[in-house]
Amino acid sequence: MTGTTSPASAAGTAGSAPHDGTDREPLLEVRDLRMYFPIYEGLIRQRHIGDVRAVDGISFTIHRGETLGLVGESGCGKSTTGRTVVRLYKPTDGQILFDGEDISGVEGKPLRQLRRRFQMIFQDPYASLDPRMTAGQTVAEPLDVHGVGSKAERGERVRELLATVGLNPDYGVRYPHEFSGGQRQRIGVARALALDPDLIVADEPISALDVSIQAQVINLLERLQGRLGLTYLFIAHDLSVVRHISDRIAVMYLGRIVELAASRELNMRPLHPYSVALLSAVPIPDPKVERRRRRIILRGDVPSPISPPSGCHFHTRCWLRERLGNPERCSAEVPLLRALSTGHEVACHFAEEVDGSREQLQSTGRGDAPTGPAPVPETADPSLLVRSPYVATPAADKDPGMGELVAGTEPGLGVPPSKPESP
Amino acid sequence: MTVTASRAPADVPETLLDVRDLLVRFRTHDGVIYAVNGISFELGRGERLGLVGESGCGKSVTNLAIIRLLPKPAGRIEGGQVLFDGEDLATLPENEVRHVRGRDIAMIFQDPMTSLNPVITIEEQMVETIVAHRKVSKRDARARAIELLGMVGIPRPETRLKSFPHQFSGGMRQRVMIAMALALEPKLMIADEPTTALDVTIQAQVLELISRLTTETGTSLILITHDLGVVAGMTDRINVMYAGFIVETATTQALFERPSHPYTVGLLHSMPRVDAHEGEPLIPIEGRPPDMRNAPRGCPFAPRCAWRLDRCWEDNPPLEPVERGVALVTTGPGATHRIACHNPPLPDEAELGRPTRPGHRPAPAPEGQLDELATLAAVVDGVTAELPR
Repeated sequence: MTGTTSPASAAGTAGSAPHDGTDREPLLEVRDLRMYFPIYEGLIRQRHIGDVRAVDGISFTIHRGETLGLVGESGCGKSTTGRTVVRLYKPTDGQILFDGEDISGVEGKPLRQLRRRFQMIFQDPYASLDPRMTAGQTVAEPLDVHGVGSKAERGERVRELLATVGLNPDYGVRYPHEFSGGQRQRIGVARALALDPDLIVADEPISALDVSIQAQVINLLERLQGRLGLTYLFIAHDLSVVRHISDRIAVMYLGRIVELAASRELNMRPLHPYSVALLSAVPIPDPKVERRRRRIILRGDVPSPISPPSGCHFHTRCWLRERLGNPERCSAEVPLLRALSTGHEVACHFAEEVDGSREQLQSTGRGDAPTGPAPVPETADPSLLVRSPYVATPAADKDPGMGELVAGTEPGLGVPPSKPESP
Repeated sequence: MTVTASRAPADVPETLLDVRDLLVRFRTHDGVIYAVNGISFELGRGERLGLVGESGCGKSVTNLAIIRLLPKPAGRIEGGQVLFDGEDLATLPENEVRHVRGRDIAMIFQDPMTSLNPVITIEEQMVETIVAHRKVSKRDARARAIELLGMVGIPRPETRLKSFPHQFSGGMRQRVMIAMALALEPKLMIADEPTTALDVTIQAQVLELISRLTTETGTSLILITHDLGVVAGMTDRINVMYAGFIVETATTQALFERPSHPYTVGLLHSMPRVDAHEGEPLIPIEGRPPDMRNAPRGCPFAPRCAWRLDRCWEDNPPLEPVERGVALVTTGPGATHRIACHNPPLPDEAELGRPTRPGHRPAPAPEGQLDELATLAAVVDGVTAELPR
């Protein structure tokens, strides 16, 4: 993943991967994209002292009508990726091929023309709407800017758009403060649809909404996709939401894609240690599952993207590296995204070790698979891996090589909770 | 409603907190906000209770009322009792409440940056807290602070004590908050959305820490959250709140095994699960939460409820056992499963997320009442046409 990747080879890795819904043509191809934000020091004579490497060489493809989920924690570069792809930023390096045309360097009027074809839905339905514009004006603005139709036609189109997103068309005269959060997000969706775009980048579109409203917006996005043939780049931190809506998922960590696979594949068989940890950290609304699970709790915080760790960015927090005895390679060599099976790419030198490991099985809820007693010795630093449900069980303390815990994952044999079950 | 089980089964814990008919209102320029509408619940010693609901359901206000931190002068406890260790906090004079706060009841809030003072070092804040409630020297307080920071997993606590809050990451700040909350060995810890602002891997760290420390010290826990996944792994018992009422209460196990209130059923079906089957559709709860400026009338969930009957519009159901004729147990692992519903979903309806009994139609709204199901249906019916391309 160096700057010299030729287009051919990049297309080879990113484009060749078949997956669900495969034979569709690519709508967006991103090749070795980099987005650095410079840091300056000094008041008068500014010196360039470094960069925030928000996006550090990523490649992926989105096919027409597909949803690609981009998941990761705050600061991993997922939002920057989304914003760069729709050219809210000018990328530092790399190519963005939209419908075959490289748009990474386009500026001015041609860019504005292009923008009709890709739109964005933002996270915060409170901040992304102008409080002094009515819902109707907000939805009409893209039409006005691009001079679509006559005034009457635009008015009709606005009513139609509001109805499409499940709002009463008569509400077009109301101001944002008169709507609830879910309704505001619907206005944001209507605005994004106004110009009939091909690609919609949705950046955490439901994170600011209440649980019962989130499902309304997810269902709306899915229904619209089916009806209008939209392509989504869906950015979120919540793996359960991303999994629900996406065909394929890219997991990002510190500016790089660490794993890219079909949604189902990623959930059943995560191959990057970070994906496994992420999956195991997602709470599941089922106390039986929660009791049975053994979480991988990562130590520490995500390092700074100003000076990311050398080699594999994840090596400072990696449970697998620790277990393998801290191999030199992790800190020395940047792991490239490589296909381990068809359409399943992972950037880890030791991804083969993850496959079938207890962590992988348990994080995917397949912990009841026969894993045998204590296949792996306890790590040198037990604080790295707190293998416990949140509920501290006495059984977890006495530790004959975790054998009991594995036994406890047999179905119906859940490790007893700290209190007896009610009779 | 507070018929305490006459000390029958051995596994009923001693009651630490007994909230009775708590009524909280805010009197604002916009009118009265009916925030908490007469709720009762108990908490046993060492028990971990979840308060679950969406924004505006009154879960945080309940917490603020218990610790008497309602914003003044608008927010007032207008009725009921908050018996903590036998003492009624609702009527205790302010200077005595201050001693209970911090010493006996500790709090962790959602955003640690706003709960820590940004211009004072962690050391000063922690030492100040300890010295205010305990007769110890500053030096001992400092030693205790170092010990606590170590306990919550802050590396090099001696040096970090000198730091200011902004020098910590979000997860670390929440650890500092937990250390401060535990500084005085409280009997009860109230955590109000403690991990909502954190990333999921950091959330796992913080929840594990709260769970471990409260279990070790035998501290009771009230965990307030909107996330059913978090309470599933963290609590023994759950109160589901809606519009200032408790609509369902049960042990965590019973609640997830047999959700019995339409709102709980709706919540469980409206969130995607990471372990769900492929292509399982979400069933959203239609409409939106009620405007709390309207005085409660009928069942608060009726406008959004697919199971509602005519009487639901007028008659707010009380919280009653799902199975009739059992002795009421309010705490512990044998706590009675109770719901406030006239027409609860049958188990297979709960599984599916919608009513299936033949001939059932949600009862239409009477004149002047908002029907969220009908307004939505009307809008959707009007847009079956394709958008022209």
